[in-house]
Parts: sequence; C-alpha cells; structure tokens
Amino acid sequence: MGERTTCGEALVRLLAEYDVDTVFGIPGVHTLDMYRGIANSNLRHVQPRSEQGAGFMADGYARVSGRPGVCTLITGPGVTNASTPMGQAYADSTPMLVISSENATRTLGKGWGCLHEIPDQEAVTRPLTALSATALSPDDVPELVARAFSIFSSSRPRPVHISVPIDVLAMPATGDWSARTAAALGAPDPAAIEAAAEALCRAERPLIMIGGGAVDTRAGGVAELAELLGAGIVPSNAGKGIVPDSHPLNLGTSMVKEATRAFVTECDVVLAIGTELAETDSYVEWLPINGKLIRVDIDAPKINDLYPADIGIVADAGRSLDALLGLVKAELPTPREDAAERVAAARRQRHAELDPLERIHQSMWDAIRAGLPEDAAIFADMTQLAYTGTFAMPVERPRTWFHAAGYCTLGCAMPMAIGAKVAAPERPVAAIAGDGGFMFTVGELAAAAELRQSLPILIWNNDGYAQIRDGMVRRGIPPVGVDSPNPDFLLLAEAFGCDRVRPGSFDEVSASMERALSAPRPTLIEVRQGAEWLS
Amino acid sequence: MTTCGAALTELLEANGIDHVFGIPGVHTIELYRGLAGSGIRHVTPRHEQGAGFMADGFARASGRPAACFIITGPGMTNIATAMGQAYGDSVPMVVVSGVNQRHELGMGQGRLHELSDQRAVIRNVAAFSHTLLRPDDLPAVVERAFAALRSARPRPVHIEIPIDVLDLPADGIEAAPAASPSPPAPDPAAIAEAAQRLREAQRPALLLGGGALGAGDEARRLAEVLGSPTTLTSNAKGLLPPDHPLLLGSYMASREIAACVDESDLLLAIGTELGETDYGYDEPAGFANGAPSLIRIDIDPEQTTRNARPSLAITADARSAVAALLERLAGHSPRDGAARVARALRTDPKGSLEARFQRHHRVLEALRSALPDAIVVGDSTEPVYFGQTHFNANHPRAWFCSSTGYGTLGYALPAAIGAKLARPEAPVVAITGDGGLMYCLGEMASAVGAGAPVICLLWNNQSFEEIRHCMVEAQVEPVGVDLYSPDFLALSASVGWAAARAETLDALPELLRAAAQRSRPTLIEITPATFGELG
Ligand SMILES: Cc1ncc(C[n+]2csc(CCOP(=O)(O)OP(=O)(O)O)c2C)c(N)n1
Ligand SMILES: Cc1ncc(C[n+]2csc(CCOP(=O)(O)OP(=O)(O)O)c2C)c(N)n1
Repeated sequence: MGERTTCGEALVRLLAEYDVDTVFGIPGVHTLDMYRGIANSNLRHVQPRSEQGAGFMADGYARVSGRPGVCTLITGPGVTNASTPMGQAYADSTPMLVISSENATRTLGKGWGCLHEIPDQEAVTRPLTALSATALSPDDVPELVARAFSIFSSSRPRPVHISVPIDVLAMPATGDWSARTAAALGAPDPAAIEAAAEALCRAERPLIMIGGGAVDTRAGGVAELAELLGAGIVPSNAGKGIVPDSHPLNLGTSMVKEATRAFVTECDVVLAIGTELAETDSYVEWLPINGKLIRVDIDAPKINDLYPADIGIVADAGRSLDALLGLVKAELPTPREDAAERVAAARRQRHAELDPLERIHQSMWDAIRAGLPEDAAIFADMTQLAYTGTFAMPVERPRTWFHAAGYCTLGCAMPMAIGAKVAAPERPVAAIAGDGGFMFTVGELAAAAELRQSLPILIWNNDGYAQIRDGMVRRGIPPVGVDSPNPDFLLLAEAFGCDRVRPGSFDEVSASMERALSAPRPTLIEVRQGAEWLS
Repeated sequence: MTTCGAALTELLEANGIDHVFGIPGVHTIELYRGLAGSGIRHVTPRHEQGAGFMADGFARASGRPAACFIITGPGMTNIATAMGQAYGDSVPMVVVSGVNQRHELGMGQGRLHELSDQRAVIRNVAAFSHTLLRPDDLPAVVERAFAALRSARPRPVHIEIPIDVLDLPADGIEAAPAASPSPPAPDPAAIAEAAQRLREAQRPALLLGGGALGAGDEARRLAEVLGSPTTLTSNAKGLLPPDHPLLLGSYMASREIAACVDESDLLLAIGTELGETDYGYDEPAGFANGAPSLIRIDIDPEQTTRNARPSLAITADARSAVAALLERLAGHSPRDGAARVARALRTDPKGSLEARFQRHHRVLEALRSALPDAIVVGDSTEPVYFGQTHFNANHPRAWFCSSTGYGTLGYALPAAIGAKLARPEAPVVAITGDGGLMYCLGEMASAVGAGAPVICLLWNNQSFEEIRHCMVEAQVEPVGVDLYSPDFLALSASVGWAAARAETLDALPELLRAAAQRSRPTLIEITPATFGELG
C-alpha cells in the first residue's frame, strides 16, 4: 500500500479482494475515510433509511446469496441502530460483516461526551456477534478482516463487528493488505459417521430434521437419504426448501402442530442436521424426541444442549451428509415402506386441525404461491399469516423461504427483501408483513422505490398487533396498546411513488403478485383480514 | 393474586409514573395486566426506538421520568439508540423489559427473542441494568431506580424481569413511593471557598449546562448577582431569557463568545460536561482549559475531571449549590458583565456562519414570533445546528435536540410526541430534516394514535445535506447522500395529518399559528425554494 492510501480506503479495497461487491450504509462525519474508498471503488453502495435497514438488507443479501452481507456505519447510534439486525443474524446464523467507525483513540473510555460517544462500543455488540473487535492501529485491520472471513467460511456463520477509530481510519495503510486464504470446513469423524449410519439403517421409524445449517448440502442429498431409509423429514424454518415441501416424505415445517409432534414421538432414530431444535420452531417447552438422537452440527456446544446427542458429529453438514449417504447406500437397508403413508396421514391430520383463521391463511398462501414462480424468494415478517405460512406455504427450493423466527423482529421482512433483490436482481423476491410489522421499517419503502425494485410487498392488515391482542385476551388481560390507527396504506404507497392494489379475490392476489414482479417499481398489496371475500 | 408484573406497575404508579411507552409482546404481557385499571396512560409507538425517544421528550419537557415497557431481544436492541441519546444528555427514564425465563438465561438454546447477554448490551446506555430474579427483590430494585433518577446524574435505568418471574405471585408488596435519598448538598467549606473567589473575581463568567436546569430561576439570579456573562448549552437554553443582558448565547465555538470567556479571570461551570458537542470540536479538547481559574459544580464527581481541569471542584446538586452560593454572595456588588456581553456581541457571531446555516435564522425567528411559547424539539439537521448555536429559547425546557451528545437521527418527531403528552397546553414543534424523518416515519401514525397534535417542521432538501457538505469539503465524491423521498404532503394525508408547504418564508408564521390551533398533527414542509433567492 502506498503512503497516501489511508486505512479507510485500504479497508474498502481489501473488502473487494474478499469478493465483496456491495455495502449497505449511511455515511457520517465519522466514516468519511471509508467513503473516500467506496467512492473510488467498484463497490456498490446501497443507502437504507436507517442503519436498522442497512443491517436487515445485509442479512437478506446474505440469506439469498450465501455470501456475507456488509454494512458500513457510523459509531454510536449507527451501531446501536444496527444492533437488532445483528441480533437477528446471530440468532439465525447469517454471515454479516459490520464495519463501523469509533471515536478517536485518545478519547476512548474517557466519557468526555464526544459526539456519538458510547462507553464501550465493542462490548455492546459482543453478545450479538461471533467477534467484536476494535482496530487500534491500521495493521490490525487486515488481520481482523481475515478472522471475519474465516469465521464465515469455517464455523457457525454469525455477525462480525469491526470498529475502527476515526483517527486510525485516516492513518496511512502500510504492510500487507492482501486477502488471506479462508479456512476450510471441518470433516466428520469416520467412526461417528459409521455409528450414525448403522443406527439409521437399523431404525424402524427414522426421522430426519434439517435446519439452516444444512442449506448448502448437495441438492437432493437429504431427500435421497430419506428415501433410502424410508424416513420422515421435518425442516425448521431455516431448513425449509432443502427438501421440496411436496416430497412425499416431508412433513413440512410444522413442529408447531400436534399431528407432526405425534409423528416425531414415535420415531426411534432421529438425525438432526444443522438445526438447533429450537423452541421457535415448535413453541413447546420440550420436543417429544424419544428415539436415539444423532446430531450433526458445526457448532460443538449444540451437540449436547437441551437435546443431548447419542451420537454427536461436529462437522460441516454437507460433508457429513455425503459420508452418511455413502455408507447407507453401501448397506442398502430396506426402506420403511409405510413412511410415506404415515407422513401423508400426519399431513391430513394437521390439515383437519386447522382453525378457521388458519384456513383463511392457507387460502392466502395458495394464492400467493400461484402468483410466484418456484425460484421466488419470500420474506415473511412476524405476522399471524406468516406463522401459518411456515407449514402452509409450499416451497420447493432452498433459500426461497425466509422467516426470521429466532430473534423474531418485527419489520425485518421488507428490508431483507430489498437486500435480497440487490444480491439477486434476476430472482423474483416478495415481502409479506403485518400492518404492525410493516410500520416498523416503513421508511425503507423509499429505498426500494429508489432502486426501482420490482418488489411485491403484501400487507396482511388486521388493524393492530393481533398476535399480542389475542394473547392478552387469552390471559384475561384487557387489551392495551395493541390497536393503533394505521395509515391508509394505498395512499401511503402512492406517496412513495409505488404501485398499489387492494385485491378483491384470491385470484386477484395471485395476479397482483405476478404483476408486481415485473413492475418497474415496488407494489404494495393490501389485504384486510376482515374482507368479505376471504371467508 | 397480584403477579410480579402487576405489582411493578403499581409501584411505578406509586412513584409518580403516569406515562408508559411500549409495544406489548409475549415477554411483557404480564406487565399490562395492571395497566388497564391504573392511572397510568399507555402510549404505543410504532417502533421501540420511538418509545425511548418519546420518554426522552416527555422527561426533557417536564423534568419527570416516564417508563417504557419493552420486550426482550429485538425490543431492547431497538430502544438502545434512544437510551444512548438519553444517556449522553443525562435524561431520566425507566426502561422495564422482559427477558427469557431464569433457567434459559445464558444457555444459548435459541429461545424466542434470545439475546445471549442483554444486560451487557444495555449496561452501556444505562446508569444501571438489573435482572430481577425474585419478586421479593422488587421493592428494593424500584427504590434503587428512583434513587438513581432523583438523586444522581439522571440517566436511563433498566430493570429486566424473566417472564417466569413476571408471572409469580407478589402479594404483600406495598405500592408505596420509594424513600429517595436527598440529592448531595455541597460541602459548606467548598462553597465558602468558591464564594470567596467569586467575590474577588473582576471578570467572572458562568457556564451553565443541562444539569443546572434544576436550579431554575436561581441560576439566573446567580448570573445577576455575579454580573457574569453566561453561556448556555443546548439543554440549558432558556435559563436566561433571550433578551437578558448577561446572555452570551450558546455558540461557544465562535470567536466572539470564546474571546469573552477567555478574558475572564474566573469561570464557574455548573452541570455541564464541557463536551465538544456544545463547546466546539476544536483540539485540544476542553473549552475552558486555558482558563486561569475554573470552578466546577456537578452532581457526578467524575464529571468534574473531564474535558477541563478545575481548580475547585464541588460535588452537588445544582439547586442546592446555587442556593448556597447565593446565600454566601449576599451583598456582593455585581461586575459589569452586561458591558462585556455587549462588547462581545457587537459583531454578530452568526456572521461567521456559512450561508446555508444563516438562512435558517429566519425560520427560527418565524417560529418564535408565531409561537413564542412553543417547545422546540430538534433533530440532527441544518436548521437545528443553526438553532443550537443561535436560537435563544424563551423558557427552560423549551428547546432540546439530538445533535448534541449521542447525535442521532430520527429523534425529533417521537420526542416531540412525548413532550406534547407531558405539556399538552404548549405548542410542540419538531424540526427535522427529510433524512431524519425517514428514520422514524411510523411515528407519524403514533402521533395520531396518541392524540398528540404536534407540528413537524420538515426541512426537505432530499439529501443528507450535512454529510454531503462534509464529503465535498474532504474531497470525497458524494456517495450515499442523495435521497429519493416520498411526497411528504401526500404521505401526511395518508396518516391523517394536516400538511402544507411553506412556499415562502413569509407564509411560515401563519402556517405555524394555524397548525397550533388544530387538534391533529401538522407537517409543514420547507424546501430550498422556500428561501427564494436565499435558497
Ligand atoms: C421488535 C419487536 N417488538 C415487539 C414484538 C412483539 N410482537 C410479536 S408479534 C406482534 C404483533 C405484530 O403485529 P402485526 O405485524 O400487525 O401482525 P399480526 O400479529 O397482527 O398478524 C408483536 C407486537 C416483536 N416480535 N418484535
Ligand atoms: C443514526 C445516525 N446515522 C447517521 C448519522 C450521520 N448524519 C449526521 S447528519 C446526517 C444527515 C441528516 O440528513 P437530514 O436529516 O436530511 O438533514 P440535513 O443534513 O439535510 O439538514 C447524517 C447522515 C447520524 N447522526 N445518526
């Protein structure tokens, strides 16, 4: 690096060397030297309307592409604004690199009351990241960036936050600023794989549970294993689409349903790949896993957490699955023939148990599905419609269903969809949100309009925070704070220069979705839960 | 049975809390049980950041704390920025949040809204953060909170309650006000020493910060008894009325005011951190460092060691310190500070400002003439930077903004809503840029829901102008600063606001007066065209 290149500029060049092509950010006085680099680079800069939007966009970018989403933010409020998306990416294991400024080194920890000052910025993001570190000299930066990309490529992917004080950003960058080789993922222990294969081949009623950690396994691999074994499949939200929902062995993302849990209770061997088996996919205190449990996870502590494994394999999901498949194929067990039949029965049972509102949701999802091609990426916010969607929306491919169930943040869906569309402009992308959730990040509609994204945004409007209203009623608490007046969403969309429509039938829902995918601007589609045509 | 959640609500009410800002969720639902029957008003924002800013505006306008009820995880990371702003500007608020069940804490099981260490995040933006592990501890924790709020440097306090504890019985907890410790009174010897020096001083000057607000009229009396030119930080504006002959103003970085302060032989700084966001960004930091003699009075002893070194430091509450000084100064003959102020302000400090700031002089004067009793709540935007340095408020607590301290965006509108709820009789005007308003757009709907007819004065230049300007100055090609904006007038209509554009500056006073008469909120847009040739 030449004498005249500042640390801020060098940092931006270094990102490009790691194949970063886009950054999401809002500039400020504290990041000028980074933005000097951005202005002089080929990086695409996308501007959200709040740093929270930046973080969600980076998250959506990462979920669709599998590549880390990158944010460039100011210190203090820029970082705390992004703390919620970081928390979400942490909970859902998404790779995200947040680079922020920090106040000048001579002021750190002194409490002088400098602009944007926070006592210990690194400490704030530590619980939200795999690594939070401050570069106190320019030389620290290439090393910290290398660590970030190693974390992304070879461990449980989670956000990394690098703070660079404003004076360090302005210092000359000297030394080696080239990208370093990222570490490869760990391979499974052959003995453990052997034990797992044996247990699976002997099982009477095997089950495969898959989560987000299995998204990048070989296409068709999980389905093939399930077919060889005659195993049922239950994906988590993050694992939805790895096996098509239409596959006869797939029970769908339906652990919240009694019928599915009853199925699971009877399984004698359970293979869980890249899944936390978290409460947010079942909402029961305890999953009824009675069988022998085989867990494959890249994150060692997961193996023995709430559901201790009988066989624990700490390794990459893809390599573990391939190894298992190899052994199982050699063994050639007789597939448990009744599996598909039992799965079908559980699905029928689940369907029969839908309550009236869920039936409406089901029809909505059928209509949405009909309006979207198979490769569409669907971002579903925290609305009752989406909770039903986890099992009611049929999805056929991985990385097409995104429902951030862990941190469960209202308002994440639209900005995530915007980020996804930036990552994959050729892919159809749609956002679904409740009226409450939509309002959390409504400003980002301007970002979508600015980018002229062909983005359908469906608002499921039930005039309030229905999920919580229902909860209060259930607990005998007089509803408080759950019925705020909404804007006229159609007028609001117009004010943003967006298309807008209020469909009058399920067919119109499908048609609106389809049309929105080719409109040269975002389309806001409002469906009122009380509309007559829905029931 | 009274649950712990309901008992807490009763305790808050007993301690004078009458407003709660919050978005209920599964993790706070039990706090709402007691609310319906209580005297507490609950106001729902559209984002937890809005809740925090509302509580901030409420407290700054009234001097009384409000509470926020916030869900764990995303709710708390959402409010972090607002707490950061309050922390930086010493504003009291009580933040009560849920947190996951006791047996889940720190286990990393992927629970709903899980955040691995919520307190570690919040500790950096709060005076303290406490986890309530047993209902029995509740009274003591609430007492601690109110002791901190009433008798120490006011800052947000955070109490988090595991949801299983929220549900536990808490019968027998008496809803009594906490016995607050008296705020620290000054050491009489130190006061005697200070009074002696003040008597001897020929050219004293008085530097008042937000901490002096509690001294009220007595602060002005002190200035008069001393005959000392007086500066006011943003949060101290109004302690001396605009036409007061001893008022130097708030543009401490200006040559004129700095020279007047520099020629003093004794400085008395009360309740001010002497931080860069009020006193200027020049290095070396420390506005009063060159002073021959500096006396600092602060409720926070550490504060007297920061930014400038005093020759005498007194830990005390401003009210009792000022009263004690006044007593000791009885019979003192005031120096001719008015002449010094007149000399200093012979040249208008405005003169050194760029035209882009100067033009906002007329906006603020229109505001003063139309609504002399207005509470003005500013964001981080050009007219506010101008006002922060040049607008002299008519009353204390009638001007505050977010461009000091934490320096965030998206503050003005929600803080104005909080201020309006605290002081319904006063017109409340939020001044914000378009960039800032986009951060908190959803709160336009909250203003309607809360029945808070605020006035939003929007400076719409369709950009992050301040940052663009800095980029140009630093020879960075502007990137990420041009904003596609909605049609703000149409947008206002969609949320039920009145709206108008000020076509000329002359039209502004009438628009403001009309807005103050309305029972619903009004947006008044100012664009570069409003300034005609000046624009
Ligand atoms: C940031 C945040 N705050 C609060 C909650 C708690 N919460 C969960 S669902 C919900 C209601 C959401 O309302 P809406 O988006 O309209 O969807 P609906 O439940 O009405 O379908 C709330 C307030 C949350 N998940 N995230
Ligand atoms: C949360 C946050 N992000 C970024 C910044 C940096 N910043 C300071 S002023 C500003 C521009 C604000 O634009 P606008 O509100 O339109 O006001 P203008 O500068 O145009 O008057 C920005 C981005 C900040 N202060 N806070």
